[in-house]
Amino acid sequence: MKKRGIGIGSIFYGTGYGNGFPDVSKAVAQLKSDGKIAIYVGATEVGQGAKTALSQIAAEVLGLSVDDIVFINEDTSITPDSGTAAASRQTYNTGNAIKLACEKLKRDILEVAKDYLGLNSIVGLTLKNGYVYPKTLPEKRVSLGEISESLESSLKEEAVFTAQTTEMDEETGQGAPYWPYTFSACGVEVEVDTETGRVEIIRAVLAQDVGRAINPELIEGQIDGGFAMGAGYALYEDLKIEKGKIKNNSFTNYLIPTSLDMPDIEKVIIEDPESTAPYGAKGIGEPVMIPVAPAILNAIYDAVGVRMTEIPVTPEKLLKAIKEKEMTYNEGKN
Amino acid sequence: MKKIKLTVNKKEYMLEIKEDTRLIDLLRDVLGFTGVKEGCGEGECGACTVIMDGDIVNSCLVLAFQADGKEIITIEGVESEEEIHPIQQAFLDVGAVQCGFCTPGMILSAKALLDKNPSPTREEIRAAISGNLCRCTGYNKIVDAIERAALYLKRGK
Ligand code: FES
Ligand code: FES
Repeated sequence: MKKRGIGIGSIFYGTGYGNGFPDVSKAVAQLKSDGKIAIYVGATEVGQGAKTALSQIAAEVLGLSVDDIVFINEDTSITPDSGTAAASRQTYNTGNAIKLACEKLKRDILEVAKDYLGLNSIVGLTLKNGYVYPKTLPEKRVSLGEISESLESSLKEEAVFTAQTTEMDEETGQGAPYWPYTFSACGVEVEVDTETGRVEIIRAVLAQDVGRAINPELIEGQIDGGFAMGAGYALYEDLKIEKGKIKNNSFTNYLIPTSLDMPDIEKVIIEDPESTAPYGAKGIGEPVMIPVAPAILNAIYDAVGVRMTEIPVTPEKLLKAIKEKEMTYNEGKN
Repeated sequence: MKKIKLTVNKKEYMLEIKEDTRLIDLLRDVLGFTGVKEGCGEGECGACTVIMDGDIVNSCLVLAFQADGKEIITIEGVESEEEIHPIQQAFLDVGAVQCGFCTPGMILSAKALLDKNPSPTREEIRAAISGNLCRCTGYNKIVDAIERAALYLKRGK
């Protein structure tokens, strides 16, 4: 028999290293001779889209398009330390460092432009689409390329962002060890085949608090990917560690979701800008994954009335649990 | 040693190979088509997918001599001189690439599908790429991209 059920899971998650551990990102911004801006950070791109989102932050500060940002993050010999691409921290932490560096550079650019244009002050100077001009007199303008050419050495600024993290009280377990926190919730509908124990995810919705969506498309990609990892965690993936050795060491026995196992996901992006974040944006890499497994296990409970307490919920385990429940039910009847 | 003749990305090659050379090693190490990726080496992940006479194969499971007389397409052979292939464009437009390791195989599986079935349903698309594992994207944007590519290809005609 096929039985359907729905379940939800919701979580909050602290991003960054947290618990008093120093969480520091550095960034360098430089005006290049062609008027483009180079950003140097040691922030790793692993496919999550850090390069894109962080370039957007730089472009926003400097009134440029992302095409005018030359983003250098692969070469550790010329980039400062921006910490690991872990703990969902790059958008918030390195994003903040980039924003600070670009703001400093922008001030330097305006100062040079002031002298170049023979003005008294940088007040009311606009930097937009590669030009600096007084907002009251846009015709009087100088391009970033001209500014760069007029200088003997290039303008360059470094900034450091150190996140606020406090140690939690060891005795009581109380405190606010992380900053910022992010919230998400997931709902799924599953269909359980009571003959085989197989669980199919029919429908899914995932709502993620992002602070501010710098790049909604990238966030959607993270939600899809996080859901797939959460679903794999709940239903398939088992390293089977025996005596310190990984038994399931190939894709033949370590199963991850395929395209046929994934439902289309209704994605809800919730924006509630975080005051200490770059343009309000928080990290979401891990959070999108976390509510998925509890939602699936709750949906299984709703479908067949068994509370699974061990993951992955493989067909064998679920079948056994369903049988056990039927047996106690029948015994109760006799 | 064995002499074989095969076409890769429209170019003909006459080669002398060892009997136990795998097709993936011939393509990557001898001919330099490093867009063919090795994920598992045992036919489970599809990263090494290439098109052989119109059908997708896992090049880690095919021995090079089995490709004798065949026509192979790798990711390098998909784009034309002027522009990338509409499927590649669709992957970019939709944001279907994250780390990119599965991408060459995904695009070739999509191409083999769309060459035979120009208007696939989402379910047919899911089935066609079910042999290609992806750890990053959760597949949905890849399915979106292949749907979009089908439109691009129709419009291009
Ligand atoms: S490398 Fe060939 S299928 Fe994984
Ligand atoms: S994009 Fe990373 S494996 Fe598919």
